[in-house]
Amino acid sequence: MSQTAENASAAPQGIQFKEIVRNYGIHLVLLVMIVLTAIISPQFLTSRNISNMLLQAAPLGIVVIGQVLVILVRGLDLSVASVMATAAVVATSFSGQDADAFPVFAVAIAIGIATGLVNGLLITKRNVSPFLATLATLTLLQGLRFAYTQGAPSGNVPPIYRVLGSQSFYGIPYNMMILAALAIVFSLILHKSTFGRQIYITGGNPVTARLVGINADRVTILCYVVSGALAALAGLILSGFVGIVDNWVGRGFELDSIVAAVMGGVALSGGRGSIIGGLLGAAIIIVVFNAVLMIGFPVQFQIIIKGLIIIIAAAFYVKKTY
Amino acid sequence: MTTVASTYTFLTKRHGGLLTVIGLMVILALFGIFVSDRFSTINNATNIIEQSTALALVSLGQTLVVITGGIDLSIGSMVSLASVLLSGITKGDPTMMWVAIAVVLLLGIAVGLINAGATIWLGVHPLIVTLGMGAVLQGVTLLYTQAPIGKMPKDFSFLAYGRFLGIPVGALFTLLAFIATAWFLHKVPFGRYIYAVGDDAVGAKLMGLPRNRVLYFVYAFCGLTASIAAIFLVARLGVGQPYTGQNFTLTSITPVVVGGTLLSGGRGGVVGTLLGVYLVSLLNNLLNFLDLSTHYQLIVQGLIIIIAVSVYVENKRKV
Repeated sequence: MSQTAENASAAPQGIQFKEIVRNYGIHLVLLVMIVLTAIISPQFLTSRNISNMLLQAAPLGIVVIGQVLVILVRGLDLSVASVMATAAVVATSFSGQDADAFPVFAVAIAIGIATGLVNGLLITKRNVSPFLATLATLTLLQGLRFAYTQGAPSGNVPPIYRVLGSQSFYGIPYNMMILAALAIVFSLILHKSTFGRQIYITGGNPVTARLVGINADRVTILCYVVSGALAALAGLILSGFVGIVDNWVGRGFELDSIVAAVMGGVALSGGRGSIIGGLLGAAIIIVVFNAVLMIGFPVQFQIIIKGLIIIIAAAFYVKKTY
Repeated sequence: MTTVASTYTFLTKRHGGLLTVIGLMVILALFGIFVSDRFSTINNATNIIEQSTALALVSLGQTLVVITGGIDLSIGSMVSLASVLLSGITKGDPTMMWVAIAVVLLLGIAVGLINAGATIWLGVHPLIVTLGMGAVLQGVTLLYTQAPIGKMPKDFSFLAYGRFLGIPVGALFTLLAFIATAWFLHKVPFGRYIYAVGDDAVGAKLMGLPRNRVLYFVYAFCGLTASIAAIFLVARLGVGQPYTGQNFTLTSITPVVVGGTLLSGGRGGVVGTLLGVYLVSLLNNLLNFLDLSTHYQLIVQGLIIIIAVSVYVENKRKV
């Protein structure tokens, strides 16, 4: 640590400033946005609205954790939204009582893990590009879901998921607690465990990883499996938030989770980034969406702004390689 | 004997994937004849070709982009925007129709140029640029209208249902577009540059090839084909809808991959893509005859991608 500090102080002023912007830019952006929106719209910082934003942020945050892991190993997971919707359909496929809460959980997570496993195997063992592999599984899963529901799912979400997805404990939503726990666990794994360091090495340079004896394939597959499982969990929680399940629960989350990761400084070229960064990115998305409505723009601006910020954010972090 | 053998190895080595696709189509066709009498009619064949016009056109543009090692995920939104603008500007007026067509075509080219420009000047991967562009275009489309809008003159449906010498107009146009592009890719120096840039961008640059111009060209071409696809779609549906193109982004990639164009760039071609388009259409048509709902088409499409990528990846490793 002290060595880094010395290097930084020895460096010319300009570079130091650039470093600060690069490392803490996202915190600043989030802060500026919150302050600006709060000035324009007084309702923005009410406890009701904040609690609302937290509720919406949790499912996205959970998906983002998985997406960050996958991007760290030079991947991309487009299948998360499809897994979410499938998990939501599973949630309504049993009796809809709390007695079935566990079977629902088990089946949904199993589907998520299976999807991640197929993704990982295609990508590592068959050398398929992550984009294409996850595109294939997303299409496949969507077809299976449609065939199963015949286009219109029905049934109830077990009440306990409703509680977890939409209620709060002294102002803190339950789903936010789940997200916080997951974020801490996975951050610890990423930064303190051998496996976490293996993820960074595998993403940073797969050849080096192999040469130092890391089973790069296994690391990559595990990242996709985690992403699938977390997406399934997010789907269950989101189904509890919305209450009604259709075939499209979680639509757009694949894009949003990638945007969040990129904004949070997770490099698409792999090996760089953190879960905290990705979650800050997710927070920005939620604040932007909320601000668009609070300020009174038409809701379509949400999509336009999202499209623009992903390009700008990527350009901000890019190392001129392409 | 030796000539037969060498022809055989030549065919399987250079075109093994395409032969597989053709073989699959033959098997499907035989299966179709077995399933229903109505399958093997001229009517059904024209139907298959006719319905695949829009998919064929967007896949054509996508193929060129993929050959350069890029990808265009803004296609679907471009098709949606072009189709609402087309019928929204026309409003049933035959003179305004020409204005609308010009606007839509120019817009497609402009969007493509912006995609390429952002890729080149910001240094951001095309996947991200076009993903963002797709979101922007979808937002603009929904700002313009959230419901079907405007209408086209009556004669306009000629593009969708008309016949020229017994061949559907759309299919004829598609065929000519593919032949012209194939000729361009293989016989014109600039077409070869597209492959060179995709195979090795740095090498192409060192050779002094105009990499930036190649990128501007392929993305503009892709935007243009998306706009043309929108014109044919509107002719078929009679009106522009804000979600018309939604599925095209991802479905445009299936035929490209099935046709043997590698996502890593530098390899493949439009002939394979056209075969891929017809394979997908044939399959969907067959599933209809089997009375299987559209849900199963998705399952089959996912499986096709998985099988296709496995086959071609193996091929590349051997080379």
